[in-house]
Amino acid sequence: MLNYIWISLIALGIFVAAGSDIADEAGNRYRNGVPLDVRFEVSKSLSGLRPSWEGRIHLTAPEFNALYGQGAADSAVNEPAVVTPDPSGPATVAITIGEASPARWKEMAAHAAEKGRLTASAAQVKFSADGHTASIRMVMESVRFVKLRAVTAAALEYASTAVTISIGLIGVMALWLGVMKVAEEAGLLRIITRLLAPLTRRLFPDVPADHPALAAIVMNIAANMLGLNNAATPMGLKAMEELNRLNPRIGTATNAMVTFLAINTGGLVLIPATAIAVRAAAGSANPGIIIGTSIIGSGCATVAGIAASRILQRLSRYRRDAEADNG
Amino acid sequence: MAEVFRSLVNVIAVFAIPLMFVVFLGWGILKKVKVYEVFVEGAKEGFTTAVRIIPYLVAMLVAIGIFRASGALELLTTLLAPVTALVGMPPETLAMALMRPLSGSGSLGVMTELMKTHGPDSLIGIMASTMYGSSETTFYVLAVYFGSVGIRDTRHAVPVGVIADIAGMLAAVWVVNLLFR
Repeated sequence: MLNYIWISLIALGIFVAAGSDIADEAGNRYRNGVPLDVRFEVSKSLSGLRPSWEGRIHLTAPEFNALYGQGAADSAVNEPAVVTPDPSGPATVAITIGEASPARWKEMAAHAAEKGRLTASAAQVKFSADGHTASIRMVMESVRFVKLRAVTAAALEYASTAVTISIGLIGVMALWLGVMKVAEEAGLLRIITRLLAPLTRRLFPDVPADHPALAAIVMNIAANMLGLNNAATPMGLKAMEELNRLNPRIGTATNAMVTFLAINTGGLVLIPATAIAVRAAAGSANPGIIIGTSIIGSGCATVAGIAASRILQRLSRYRRDAEADNG
Repeated sequence: MAEVFRSLVNVIAVFAIPLMFVVFLGWGILKKVKVYEVFVEGAKEGFTTAVRIIPYLVAMLVAIGIFRASGALELLTTLLAPVTALVGMPPETLAMALMRPLSGSGSLGVMTELMKTHGPDSLIGIMASTMYGSSETTFYVLAVYFGSVGIRDTRHAVPVGVIADIAGMLAAVWVVNLLFR
């Protein structure tokens, strides 16, 4: 199953990216090679010390929309720009893209050679008699294959993100595994396991009642509910390690592991701290209002997950996998 | 009521970790365990476990990264919106429901964006944040947990995770519509 989901994510991503790039190209979404007439208002002139004119370019919304299509801009376009003459060819115009820039230009700037800056080549620069304004006819640098480029960049970026995350786990993992080892040697894990046996026996009937995996599972669930993610993951991984000791077929998940993951992916949290923080930052009158609804939501997810793991583990296609090597 | 509950849980969360250190290590001393030596012995495992996860997490995150960057999510949202509208899910929150199991940072972005556009106390804002709080990043958890013990055949874990996610999202839609519509 994971094989199919994995390949679907990749294939769907690449096909959609290629398709949308082909559509952009066919409709010339970024108007590659189409000239655009703008007015340039000079604030700093060319001089011996300054190799270029600095100022702002102006375009009315209808002028911008005439090129990029209806609704591309809803107000006049007014961007800082630098015009640099080149004795051997056309002058270059570098436009700085900011918050207020039209969406289409922001999109183009995100994929430009230099992030946040669009460059254009000016075929014609005509200054007014007083030198304060100029009219420029320019062609923006070509933008192509935006999505495929983004997909490539994402693949490389996420590969290193995965390593960053894993390496980042080393410290907390070491800390909690050390503490757990002490508790194990002291017999404390055994006591916790025995106390909670009535509950865990029902959830994990395949695990012996005094097995240390159960203590790690209980502590993982408690840490998750309190929102202590830094403690929850190491304990969860400790639990997986202990459950794997009971695994007759290394490399294949056991029923107990799947039930344990169902509880973890349900994500039962007493206080959804991240969501509350985002709500508060967005200016909510009552950021904590989602506590109750989230508990209901994650409670349903957890119960459904546990029930599904119990039902699906009996299906022959999943059972056969687990027992294949035992016969 | 909610305030009392919230501050109570916050207090427990603050005390939980120091208390565990004290109880676990203190119990060790009582039982004459050589706490320092045993701690170091256990901590050694931290490195190997973390490193063992790397290939699994790379595989999972690269696939999710490609999917996110391609704009396929927007396409799926458009295709599925008429179906999910039947259960009372506003089309804006569908992107949240689809992103939640795949990417923690991605769904955080979707939630923040929805609150900026619609306001945190709008139906969409409340529903998006409830959805965020109603589930975990399923595929990340699968990769990390199974990766740490080298499980490649996950058997029924993926359908179970997806069923749990769907149940969580539907419950969030239902309860928010019930209370805040």
